[in-house]
Amino acid sequence: MRDKLIQALKAHTADYADIRIEDLDTSWVSFRGPDLDSIGSSRTVGGIVRALYKGGWGYATFNDLDHLEKRVQEACKIAHLVGNQKTQLASIKPVVDLTKADMEKDFRLVPLTQKKALAEEYNNIVLKRHPKIQTSNTRYSDSFKTIYFASSEGTYIEGEVPNIYLFMVGIARQDDIVQQNFQTGGGFSGYQLVENLHAKAEKAADMAVELLSAPTVKGGKYTVVTDPMLTGVFTHEAFGHLSESDFIYENERMKELMQLGKRFGVDNLNILDDGSLPGQLGTHKYDAEGTPTRQNYLIQDGILVGRLHSRETAGKMGEQPTGNARAVNFHHPPIVRMTNTYLAAGTDTFEEMIKNIDLGVFALDTIGGETAMEMFTFSAAYGYMIRNGQVAELVRDVVLTGNVFETLMNIDCIGDQVYWVPNSPGGCGKGGQQPLRVGIGGPYIRIQNCTVGGQQ
Amino acid sequence: MIVEQIIQKATQKAQSAQVSLNTRETSEVSFENDYLKSAESSQRTNIQLTVILDGKVGVSTTTDPNDVNGLVSKALAVAQFGNPAHYTLPAEQPTASVKTYDPELLLLSKPEMIHIGQSMLDMIKSYNPEIVTSSGVAKTVQTNQFANSAGAAYADEHTDFSVGAFGQLTRGTDILFAMESAGHKHRQLDFEDIANQTIEYFRLAERSAVVQSGDMPVIFTPDGLNALLLSLSIALDGKHVLLGSSPLASKLDQSITDSRFNLVDNPLIDYAPQTSAFDDEGIPRKVTPLVENGVLRNFIYDLDTAGRAGAQPTGHGANRRFTNLIISPGDVALKDMIKGVRKGLLVHEYLGLGQGNPINGEFSVNLALGYKIENGEIVGRVKDVMLAGNAYQALNQITAISQEQQWRGGPYSLFSGLFPYIQVDKLSVVAK
Repeated sequence: MRDKLIQALKAHTADYADIRIEDLDTSWVSFRGPDLDSIGSSRTVGGIVRALYKGGWGYATFNDLDHLEKRVQEACKIAHLVGNQKTQLASIKPVVDLTKADMEKDFRLVPLTQKKALAEEYNNIVLKRHPKIQTSNTRYSDSFKTIYFASSEGTYIEGEVPNIYLFMVGIARQDDIVQQNFQTGGGFSGYQLVENLHAKAEKAADMAVELLSAPTVKGGKYTVVTDPMLTGVFTHEAFGHLSESDFIYENERMKELMQLGKRFGVDNLNILDDGSLPGQLGTHKYDAEGTPTRQNYLIQDGILVGRLHSRETAGKMGEQPTGNARAVNFHHPPIVRMTNTYLAAGTDTFEEMIKNIDLGVFALDTIGGETAMEMFTFSAAYGYMIRNGQVAELVRDVVLTGNVFETLMNIDCIGDQVYWVPNSPGGCGKGGQQPLRVGIGGPYIRIQNCTVGGQQ
Repeated sequence: MIVEQIIQKATQKAQSAQVSLNTRETSEVSFENDYLKSAESSQRTNIQLTVILDGKVGVSTTTDPNDVNGLVSKALAVAQFGNPAHYTLPAEQPTASVKTYDPELLLLSKPEMIHIGQSMLDMIKSYNPEIVTSSGVAKTVQTNQFANSAGAAYADEHTDFSVGAFGQLTRGTDILFAMESAGHKHRQLDFEDIANQTIEYFRLAERSAVVQSGDMPVIFTPDGLNALLLSLSIALDGKHVLLGSSPLASKLDQSITDSRFNLVDNPLIDYAPQTSAFDDEGIPRKVTPLVENGVLRNFIYDLDTAGRAGAQPTGHGANRRFTNLIISPGDVALKDMIKGVRKGLLVHEYLGLGQGNPINGEFSVNLALGYKIENGEIVGRVKDVMLAGNAYQALNQITAISQEQQWRGGPYSLFSGLFPYIQVDKLSVVAK
């Protein structure tokens, strides 16, 4: 493949060009209720050529790998049509690197019958756990992707990305009330990640049933304590996206707003993004442009000190590329994305956080989050009221909202340990590219005056 | 033909087989942050094979038309452990004649697409040069082929045209996004209308307004209806009905909404965004009434789910996707609807939709773009406001439906279809 890509790139007529080819094998087993719902396997091959000419990008994406040289010419032709400014790409050192997947237990060697049996075992746990469980959904999937990347600057990277995912949903019903809870497992390091998740299957069922009788949280302003998973989602939505430079680099007002050195949070607030952390879901040796990943401080001691870059955003802002150009697959060019973004540990214990709260919400686990830069939402899968310093009754439909310019200042307790969620669900979406897997984690934190949606 | 080849190969071992092949070529231009940033040509192929081997189903897909052998052997391999087939493959049936292809669109060149993108950008900038503007124009040519071993074979071609404009206005720490898009299958498209509509969202947000927490009347724009349609679309899915997880499962032919509410799925409207004559299981598309004068009429089913549920497949594909959803108009002019509100909200875009418990009808969302109505007038944008309610309760508390309808179906739309504005008596609002 290397020779083929290098040969094709010789046809380029732009300031810069690269090719990314992906070869992906996927298989899945899905149960819904007591029945096997779907079983299958698929193969996806394809690629993208990017060409940059006078600041304008031309992209050609394709499934058919037979005419790479023609795709390079096509991308260059398009770039010539678009480009009328100046090409500014931050420079990186060309590398040649070939890495193999490192799996403790290679899922490609596990027969499909065994994967089906495992999914069925978990599915039965969910289904038979409680008479109020109406139905279930248990889905196992794995994929193995080989990526080939070459640039006109001489970089050539070949890498393998294994991924395994287990998704278990318990759906409980009583009369017209339907409640669900989902639990996930998986990651990059092999089949062992989805073994022994029986307790999670039990939790998917138990929590769905418990939520049937839980009241909806009353809307209003509360002191909120979040668990590590929800802290992770909060960090991602409340601040992470705002640090992505493609929202900033060509927008003068946003540059003013996001000027380095500005205070964004309390003194002990530290937020980092680190694509080089071992074993996390957002970890890669290189990003999709061949820039090595690294640890990037975004907020240090409450002050904005950094942001996330692609080569283009770094080049245009005169800053260093950070290894954050990522693409969900070959249908898309890489854009600036988070990797493993987290709030660093503070000094407080959970007990200290809740002991002085008269009325608050302890929000756990997550359904998701969304941001419009300034305002954001993040949702707990469930929560408990905090009354007189004690964790009290279960509540449901806990959707929280905030405003970045206020909420980060309202964090007044930060837990003394960062917990990574080993198999966090789903992934991040941006610009039509999803789900991109990102690491989720953090400490317990306490947020004052946090708005919780709901009827009053 | 490759689909016949695959069928032939697969049925050497399997008792029956069906193949769906989709190819698409897209040409696209994108303006970002006030500049022409990129253009793209893309080519995609996807082949899906389903086999039934000894009564069990196996599925395999590939993007490589040269890998027929691999595709067939994988489908056969998984079918050995597959789910029991609860259906037989349908024979050829007549399909409706609908228009999905406009040769005029093929003639549209990249420079012409750049012109459209630039014109929308210029219009928005001339309203307010401070708005950082993006726009996108894309055209796609698709071919679909379907064949099965029961003798059904269909093929058609589609052209798709989509245009969107997007602006960001930053004032101090106040950040506002607004966007508008359109999409359908013919060349004729009023891009000035898209730019003007985007400008209108900004114009209405020039002033900001403060709202107090409490219950108040809410007018949903056609986009704002997503909060209600999301729950309905899950509950109307035959799979959820079969599994008992749809709150509407036992309510067929019962009243579930206000009697003025009518919802139809119509895949047979010429050139509409999701129009087509057959689905990827070889089922002819047809009009499906979902809610008629408030009464629940139908769920949607794929072949397998229909087989299990003892229902008929409705032509919504193996993944049961709605096509063009049509909500009937009402008898009130939008301006009169707004005039009748003393204190309430006009809601358009959300943050966090789907993060409540949509299967149960509940939503709890931040208003990414919403406006306050006071004494019959839109007085400004509201921010940091959460809206909460239950879709079924809301649909039973409809106070008015507008005469006006808008097509949705562009790249920024969650649902495709034709929707009015709907006013609901009261919903719960939590303000900062």
